[in-house]
Amino acid sequence: MAGRERIAVTGLGLVCSLGLAREQSFARLCAGERGIGPLRLFESRGLKSHIAAEVSGLDVAEIGARGEDWSRSDAMAFLAAREALSHAGHVQGAELSFALGGTTGGMYETERALQQLAASGIMPHDARRLLDFPLAVSLERVSRALGSVTQSATVCSACSSGAVAIALGASWLLSGRAARVVAGGVDSLCQLTFAGFNALGAVDPEPCRPFDVGRAGLTLGEGAACLVLELESSARARGAPIIAFLTGWAVASEAHHVTHPEPSGERAAAVLGAALRVAALEPRDVGYVNAHGTGTIQNDAMEARALQRVFGSDLAGLWVSSAKAQLGHTLGAAGAIEAAITALSVSRGYVPPMVGLVQPESSELRFVRSPNQRADLRAALSSSFGFGGACAVLAFEAPSAEARTLSRTVFSPVVISGAASLGSRGLLGGRDGSSYLVPSEPSAPPPEPLDLLDQERSRRFGRASALVVACSEHALRDAALEPAGTGFVGGSAFGDVQRSVRFLQKVLGQGPRFASPAEFPQLVASTGSGNASIYLGLTGPCLSVSEFGTSGESAVSVAIALIELGLATAVVAGSGEARDAIVDAVLGGVVGAPRSEGAGFVVLEALSAARSRGRVPLARVTEHRALRGDPGPTLSALSGPPERACVISGFLPAAVAGALARSAWRDVRTHVIPALLGFHEAIGAVALSIAVSEVASGHAQQVLVVTGDVDTFYLTRLEAYEEHA
Amino acid sequence: MDQSELKSKIKRALLEELDLRGRTEADIDDAAPLFGDGLGLDSLDALQLAMAIEERFGVTMPEGEASRAIFASVNAIAAHITREKAG
Repeated sequence: MAGRERIAVTGLGLVCSLGLAREQSFARLCAGERGIGPLRLFESRGLKSHIAAEVSGLDVAEIGARGEDWSRSDAMAFLAAREALSHAGHVQGAELSFALGGTTGGMYETERALQQLAASGIMPHDARRLLDFPLAVSLERVSRALGSVTQSATVCSACSSGAVAIALGASWLLSGRAARVVAGGVDSLCQLTFAGFNALGAVDPEPCRPFDVGRAGLTLGEGAACLVLELESSARARGAPIIAFLTGWAVASEAHHVTHPEPSGERAAAVLGAALRVAALEPRDVGYVNAHGTGTIQNDAMEARALQRVFGSDLAGLWVSSAKAQLGHTLGAAGAIEAAITALSVSRGYVPPMVGLVQPESSELRFVRSPNQRADLRAALSSSFGFGGACAVLAFEAPSAEARTLSRTVFSPVVISGAASLGSRGLLGGRDGSSYLVPSEPSAPPPEPLDLLDQERSRRFGRASALVVACSEHALRDAALEPAGTGFVGGSAFGDVQRSVRFLQKVLGQGPRFASPAEFPQLVASTGSGNASIYLGLTGPCLSVSEFGTSGESAVSVAIALIELGLATAVVAGSGEARDAIVDAVLGGVVGAPRSEGAGFVVLEALSAARSRGRVPLARVTEHRALRGDPGPTLSALSGPPERACVISGFLPAAVAGALARSAWRDVRTHVIPALLGFHEAIGAVALSIAVSEVASGHAQQVLVVTGDVDTFYLTRLEAYEEHA
Repeated sequence: MDQSELKSKIKRALLEELDLRGRTEADIDDAAPLFGDGLGLDSLDALQLAMAIEERFGVTMPEGEASRAIFASVNAIAAHITREKAG
């Protein structure tokens, strides 16, 4: 079997507390400088820590597009992407795909708006500014500023987000969905995370000391990094210098606890081992690990154990350091920033020191103790371990590394083996060839989402999490799928805005010492996926995506990419949204359908996996596109419908509806789901789930699910599954 | 505030702050351990409870190991609050 092609890193962009550009940042990092100082962005009175790794000299107004009110996250993501693309010799106008990871997006700016509004009361007119925080806003603004972005997605898996975005980029390249990708992560400092980590007792009042026995917690930081990725053949054909190769990846979940890592390091070790296997590397081939190393008691102890498990006697030849003593913990950006540092290390032959280390946690680990340490590396790993047990590991190799046969990702068609939706009509699922509705009596009220769940294990869930977990549990159960190894991708447009506002109002009003520690982990964008992973025991890759009114559709796209990259053979994907007074007030009249709430989830599975467990799928996914820009060419290129077919749509912008009316599907009956169930940001996932029942029940041979938002559109063609002899 | 009223307020704080849905004050024994097997609480709950007691009763809670003894039971929390208020 022919091996797969290697992925070349041809550009790097890095923004951190040590500098606004790559070369300066990496030189100061290797020299052992600390980018940690007094917190200036906001008041820290009443907190344990008054220091942070702030990015200084960031002129947001200067960087941002004219007429747009950019956030610090927008500006840092754009600087990193622009630097990476210029490094790669990318000519503006050439087609580009963009994957961005992060956790809090423009929350810093939302907090400032909230602070101003708190005194006068929140009016719907002003409240619009409170909804500018999702990472999707950064994705939109940066995509427009870069130009020619034809495919894009956000990912959030807490502190491994940036690494997962890079893995997503790898998937797009290997499946042929993209020719060039810019992928990375961003997070800016904000009071939500600053007060939240303080409340958890997870911050060190002094600059953090990863892997030191005296460590007392983390130091928060901010920044962004992006990598330009393309296939080796593409880089060679255009003569682009190759900085490093991205040859290995692994993403998985511990399904253990919302804030504590699994202490033995067994799960983390499995993820490190999986990345080595994908890259066909032996532990002795690896010369450096850029560790997650946050400086918290629990993470560093767990991580040291995980490295001992994987590298054993090879630890003597393995350099280890964590950049967080110098750059702080940049949360959703960390996985990308550290991937960039790791790629530069294998490329340049220098490894950054482990600053602040006096007495190491483990005498077996070989920490980098001197500045400007030379190291000829064949391969190096960058590891990320986030809240909710979200692990990701990337493997990079030197440009001189010899090409060898890499296991090829075997593309299997994707099928749907379970589907459920939950809304004002109740819970709709399908089992053993027929669909069911709870309640079965149409006049009975729909079940309360929390009543569908175990009380004790769901006690911290907000309403959105309850909708998400209850609905996905039914989809998983109907698919008769084991949770071990299964992934989860949940769309979340805004999260629990009211709950976040309450948390922040308390912090701003009563002071940060009254920030609620148990509440904080429920407020980040990856809350729903973390809760689902832990509640359902899902140990595959579990993450969230944010894409406004098409968050559920984006979740399905990302889930397909995870399956295509071989990170999981089955992924539960969809979205759930609860009513929220602030979102209702702002967006109430925007769509033209009354606002409602609900959830839709499907189980996507590689056909080969469904077959090998003897499962007959509900439907086959014969086509799936997630694109930006003009929907015309894609829709007019569609082959025509069979005799029994229908179109099911979620939110359908005029441009997409117009293109559909000019396509070969123009005469087919269209069901507009928001007209039936009202509008919420998960309605596209509900539409897909209903489309699966249409196909599975035999009402239609094919269903085309078409949805869109301002700049994006999604197209999924489902077909009845027939076993071919 | 007498001790039974104080203990009732503590139990209400436990139920509300720790989202103990489906339980009532009567389910919480004054002397029973709160953590470990008792109510199935974890260290995140301990942090939440410390913050809530400071907020609701206006007393300070020590950090780390010292708070462990105070969280032993409703009785122990009541004793701590009474001591702090007196001092």
